[in-house]
Amino acid sequence: MKSFSFIFALLSLPFCIANTQDAVHKQLVELAVAGNGVIKLDPKSFDLITSPKRNWSAAIQLTALDKRRRCLPCNDFDPSFNAVAKAWATTSKKNRDNHFFATLDFDDGQVVFQKLGLTSAPVVQVYPAVEGPRAPANGKVAPIPYDFSSGYEASTLAEAMSRYTPVVIPYSDPIDWARYSTFAAGLLAFTVMLRFIAPILQSRWTWATISIGLSLIMTSGYMFVRIRGSPYAAQDGSWIAGGYQNQYGQEVSVIAFIYGLLAFAFLMLIMVIPYQMSPNRQRLQVYLWTGVIMIIYSILISIFRVKNRGYPFKLFL
Amino acid sequence: MPNRWRTIPFLLSFIIQSLAAPQSFENTAIVRSVELGGVAVHVTTTFAIKALEPGAKVYTIALGRQEKEKTSWFEVKVKGQQNPLLISEHPYAYESTRNYHLVDVTLPRPLTANGTLNIVLEAVQTHATTPWPTTASQKEDQALKFTADLLVLSPYHTLVQRTKLKALTPRLISFTIPKEVQDFMPDTPASKSGATVTYGPFNDIPPSANENFIAAYQQPVTIHYFHEQPVLEILKLTRSAEISHWGANLNIQDDIQLHNAGPALKGHFSRLDHQSQAFYKKPAPHALPALTLHLPSGIRNAYYYDLIGNVSTSRLRVAPSPPKNSKTKQYSVLELRPRYPIMGGWNYTFTLGWDAPLADSANWDHATGKYMVEIPIMTPITGAVVNNAEVKIILPEGATDVEFTPPFSALENRVSTHVTYLDTTGRPTLTFEYKDLTVMHAQSIFVSYKVSLSAHLKKPVAVATAFFSLFAFALLGRRINLTIHKNKVL
Amino acid sequence: MPEAYPLPSNLSSATVTNTASLLRIVTLALISGAAIASRLFAVINFESIIHEFDPWFNYRATRVLATKGFYEFWNWFDPTAWYPLGRVVGGTVYPGLMATSGVIYNLLHALNLPVDIRNVCVLLAPGFSALTAWATYMFTKEMKDPSAGLLAAAFIGIVPGYISRSVAGSYDNEAIAIFLLMFTFYCWIKALKQGSALFGTVAAVFYFYMVAAWGGYVFITNMIPLHALVLILMGRFSNRLYAAYSSWYAIGTLASMQVPFVGFQPVKTSEHMAALAVFGLLQIVAFAQLVRSHVSSQQFQKLLFIGVVAIGILGAAAFGIMTLKGWIAPWTGRFYSLWDTGYAKKYIPIIASVSEHQPTAWPSFFMDLQFLIFLFPAGVVVCFRQLRDEHLFVIIYAVMASYFAGVMVRLMLTLTPVVCVASAVALSTLLDTYIDPTEPEINDDTVSESGASTASAPAPGANGTSHPTTPKKTKKAVPPPQSTSALGQIIAASRSSNNKPRPKGIFGADTRLMVVFNAMCLLAFFVFHCTWVTSSAYSSPSVVLASTNPDGSQHIIDDFREAYYWLRQNTQEDSVVLSWWDYGYQIAGMADRPTLVDNNTWNNTHIATVGKVMASSEEVAYPILRKHDVQYILVIFGGLLGYSGDDINKFLWMVRIAQGIWPDEVQEPSFFTPRGEYKVDDQASPTMRNSMMYKMSYYRFAELFGGNAATDRVRQQQLPKVGPTLDYVDEAFTSENWIVRIYEVKKEDPLGRDHKSANAFSQGKKRKRTKPAQRRRAIL
Repeated sequence: MKSFSFIFALLSLPFCIANTQDAVHKQLVELAVAGNGVIKLDPKSFDLITSPKRNWSAAIQLTALDKRRRCLPCNDFDPSFNAVAKAWATTSKKNRDNHFFATLDFDDGQVVFQKLGLTSAPVVQVYPAVEGPRAPANGKVAPIPYDFSSGYEASTLAEAMSRYTPVVIPYSDPIDWARYSTFAAGLLAFTVMLRFIAPILQSRWTWATISIGLSLIMTSGYMFVRIRGSPYAAQDGSWIAGGYQNQYGQEVSVIAFIYGLLAFAFLMLIMVIPYQMSPNRQRLQVYLWTGVIMIIYSILISIFRVKNRGYPFKLFL
Repeated sequence: MPNRWRTIPFLLSFIIQSLAAPQSFENTAIVRSVELGGVAVHVTTTFAIKALEPGAKVYTIALGRQEKEKTSWFEVKVKGQQNPLLISEHPYAYESTRNYHLVDVTLPRPLTANGTLNIVLEAVQTHATTPWPTTASQKEDQALKFTADLLVLSPYHTLVQRTKLKALTPRLISFTIPKEVQDFMPDTPASKSGATVTYGPFNDIPPSANENFIAAYQQPVTIHYFHEQPVLEILKLTRSAEISHWGANLNIQDDIQLHNAGPALKGHFSRLDHQSQAFYKKPAPHALPALTLHLPSGIRNAYYYDLIGNVSTSRLRVAPSPPKNSKTKQYSVLELRPRYPIMGGWNYTFTLGWDAPLADSANWDHATGKYMVEIPIMTPITGAVVNNAEVKIILPEGATDVEFTPPFSALENRVSTHVTYLDTTGRPTLTFEYKDLTVMHAQSIFVSYKVSLSAHLKKPVAVATAFFSLFAFALLGRRINLTIHKNKVL
Repeated sequence: MPEAYPLPSNLSSATVTNTASLLRIVTLALISGAAIASRLFAVINFESIIHEFDPWFNYRATRVLATKGFYEFWNWFDPTAWYPLGRVVGGTVYPGLMATSGVIYNLLHALNLPVDIRNVCVLLAPGFSALTAWATYMFTKEMKDPSAGLLAAAFIGIVPGYISRSVAGSYDNEAIAIFLLMFTFYCWIKALKQGSALFGTVAAVFYFYMVAAWGGYVFITNMIPLHALVLILMGRFSNRLYAAYSSWYAIGTLASMQVPFVGFQPVKTSEHMAALAVFGLLQIVAFAQLVRSHVSSQQFQKLLFIGVVAIGILGAAAFGIMTLKGWIAPWTGRFYSLWDTGYAKKYIPIIASVSEHQPTAWPSFFMDLQFLIFLFPAGVVVCFRQLRDEHLFVIIYAVMASYFAGVMVRLMLTLTPVVCVASAVALSTLLDTYIDPTEPEINDDTVSESGASTASAPAPGANGTSHPTTPKKTKKAVPPPQSTSALGQIIAASRSSNNKPRPKGIFGADTRLMVVFNAMCLLAFFVFHCTWVTSSAYSSPSVVLASTNPDGSQHIIDDFREAYYWLRQNTQEDSVVLSWWDYGYQIAGMADRPTLVDNNTWNNTHIATVGKVMASSEEVAYPILRKHDVQYILVIFGGLLGYSGDDINKFLWMVRIAQGIWPDEVQEPSFFTPRGEYKVDDQASPTMRNSMMYKMSYYRFAELFGGNAATDRVRQQQLPKVGPTLDYVDEAFTSENWIVRIYEVKKEDPLGRDHKSANAFSQGKKRKRTKPAQRRRAIL
């Protein structure tokens, strides 16, 4: 008897598996439609979607959106993931149902995180199809992690995901109306104001200030901060970054100010003081600005010595 | 070096004599001792000769065929005396078919009947040894094979002769036991004691410098021994010596192609093994980490570089230049480290040069108004052989009636002109070419020449003219106004 | 007329001028001497050797040029580079540098001065720096006066920002480019001031030289049009501008198209379109001016104005369309990444990976320019004070260059000259003001005409080198533009010498002394700074490393040349060497062997192939190696010595670049530990530990330490006791300090086994059993 049932089970095994696979697939499709493109997962459905006999592929975002988790990148990334999924949902049905986008939140499925041994979020893993026509030729079915090194933008994500979907994800960046409108408004305002601000525009000193400002900001490492995205100041509040090849945002302002002050001192000596017609006040100013130059300069040197420890020279302090 | 035996005419008479009386001598004893080495092997043969008739003045020495081919240098002396004896080709010497080769030696004075004399033949054989096995890994030893003839040939009757092969270490691998020599000696023909293998003594041997004796008795003996120094060859040595009177300077520059002719490195070079060997003071015998050179004393700004720039890993200790005509010879010692240790079969090319004060090697003869300069042919590297050498002597510009006396004649020598810094006409240049130089060849070429005052002054005058014309040009350029009309734009 | 200190009054003006010119010549000579001398630290500390990487290629090419002649060089196909592709060198280099040193070499040999070509190459940069100083002097003289020119020359002569790329031995295009840059600008300014087509043509000729010498010529190509455009917008259009620009553009563009490497770019790529557009605009404006001068009716002029604007807009539209159509190539990556700063990292990692393409932090600005960095804004303002056309040029240049320098470290080079010029203008104005001995009288009513004239008369005689700038100003046709602010009016008044000047001057000697002394201190400090920076930071040829022995003496670490020379002496002529592209040029130059990739990174795929070889396991790499018939692999390993610039530190870039081509075979994350760290110790990820790079770097490294734990001095990590094993390659050579390690790729096994099982067989069963286990771990 026991043996008979065993044989029966053995016989019926393939059918039921096939059935279950179809059922699971149908279920997933519904879920996807429900959550317009994104399937909200829990441990159970996670096992379903990553079942070792899947004939579909899936891109799963493992994240921790809850405020208490204080995962800023998760919240930064989530919208782009959803956007891409939404774009995918617009493709034709037969393509769409071969690939799923799903999200598993840490609070819903800690077990999964432990099982995958994940210590950080967000993580996007692509599970290629195991069976069926879309199983990869090289037979690599291990989940492929998405590389965040190129940022959290939706466009890059869509580009990367398109390698695993049957057709390219029809994603295009939303037009940034706000920016354009502000630009247009600015332009309009400018044209309107033109006749009023014309004298200012024609004054060379406006332009002088602009160009000086620009070069001061640039020469104090503004572009470095922008490109490297280095913070305004360190967590511990120290505003000056150790190391010769590194700097914080705050240094830009400080250094620019110092440079500006020194340049201004020289300008006073060159352009203003000679026209000061009372000897004593002139003498006073000369001494004042010379002193300013000496002191500020030595401050600058001392800051530089902090950045570049090997620097042998120093001024008064 | 075949031309080593160029005939010198006035000796012909003696040759006739020696032909007339082939048996004018008898060898009471011949002892040949071979000091086994790397590429160069020293062979010292002592003949104790006895004149059988009065007035015998020319003694003939026979060399085997291979022996002659390998020998790159030899000289004959009376035992205990310094100056070598005149040697000359025996007539009909050049018959390639013959298995032996004859050389005539002119004795200092004719011997009386039964008068005896000990003469010593010193020879250096190059490329006489072959590494065996031909490859050795970094940790293995290096072993060489040397082959020589068993018997010393001689046109005269010999009472007793023996041959000694001396290795540097007592660790010999094998040596040949000769056969078929019973009629010269009853008991064992070869015996080993320490690092020395002795063949003989072989007793009364008939005149052996003839084909049928050689066919009958001569046979090669081979010794296989360990050698603990690297086997070095200098494939090509190009030395250029430039004499400058204005700088009172003799610049000598050697371009050297060094090659380790020992067993080729088996497998690959492992720095780890090399460093551990150095650490345990057991360096591989066929690896050359560094070599020491003896440069002349009192040299200035020596330089050592190769194709890709200066080599910083070397040390030089300069000895002060000696006072004139002082006998004591001092050397500046250069410890020269190649960029990498030279393992078996590896090559390394480099350039080595230095400036020496001209006064050390030149002097001026008031009587003839000629300069006499001494140029060393090579810097001896112990145990190394220079396969090809080219020595170039660049005389000062405008040197006239040049004469030179080489210590031994070159394969080829020619005169050309060489143009270098601030030259107008170029400098006369002598070039000598040699093969297979050994330590024994480290001698000097003497060159004498005249330089007139005008030739001396040529250089400064040329430079002065150049500068002056430059200034004159600038002067004119500044003065002349080339504008056609006054510029009225702006 | 009070004076702060007495002046010699018995000097004839002729004497003064002659002395001044003599002093000027002597000073320039001294400055050139200083410029050259301060660049010789490298030669004195080390030797006369070519530095770094790219110079080695230039040196090699120059040798070909010098030995085989220009024709041979021109169509030189180098089969040893980019094996097996080869490289058409003649068409893919800027030949200016090689041609220059070739000419110098032949000239010297014609004069019986047999200088080694290497020394010519090594000393080219210092020599040209002297010329740069001279060109800067000429340029600044146009801006202010000879005294400012001398200051500028002195600055550019010793400022580290320029020395960094022109020390003896750094034989690179920049060596001559900066001189050409400055001289082209000088000719442009001269042409603009005089409206002379001659100087325009000279500018064009030097522009051509620049195009032939350096890719940075694009800077000139956009700088001059920008200047012209701004002039037009400010309503300063003049026939001088027209003549200068037209002659420069027409001849310069035609000439630049003669350089094969540039070809038709000047008319096809966006970098050059600005120049073309301005040229067109100039024609239109000129035409408009012409018509306007003849016609007088208002309506017509309005019409004309509208027409001009319309044509301009049309032209812009046409340009846009052509770009979209693709008739005009869009900006090249390197150039584009200047504007969109994130671009390179995302799309062209090779460009991003180069260290000199990184953005600049402020310390490097200060390091390279010291007090000039805050003096030059002052100089720019001074330029604003009397806003002549050439001053505009300096202003635009300053702003643009400071942006570029901020984006890319290497573009500090283009900023340096303008900084020197501007701060020289500022400083010399300061000195003029405070050395001039005349003191103004204190009286309320304005000074009489005569007083003013006498006040300004003795000034030139007073300080030897300063000439009166008044004649130039009177010659200038530009009227002082109206300015609104008070300061502006003051200065406008003070500029024009015909109406009454507001009295100016300094009272007392102590104030003068104070300021001058202060300036002198700044200058002295600057000299010390420059000397220190040059000697310590910029004078090491990265081919030879220097360390100091315990006793303080210098110890040379020469591993690179040791290994390269070994390759050169003891391998076959044609054995192909695989290494990361940084070392391609050095191997070609010093080891004289074919290389797969080298420093002109024109073929991303080929580089990615090398990256893949390094990043993947032996089994994967071996077929690739055999296909490219690689015989030797060369890796740089600093772990023993603590040399941080080694391949393990560059490894991630190799992985990234390989990943760009084979995304599913090489993946960057798999080289990190699960915790996302980059480790080489026993926590290193299996992929890392099986990669060729890791294995070849640490092969038998642990054994060196005997029983003790092996430490990597760069990464400061403990390595596992049992080091990696190699099956498909043999260690061929390792340099003294293990910095360079060369491996030989095995031939196929004669019995047709794969090398792993062959090794396992030859080393007995033990290995054989353990091996597959490791293998499985590796793949998973």
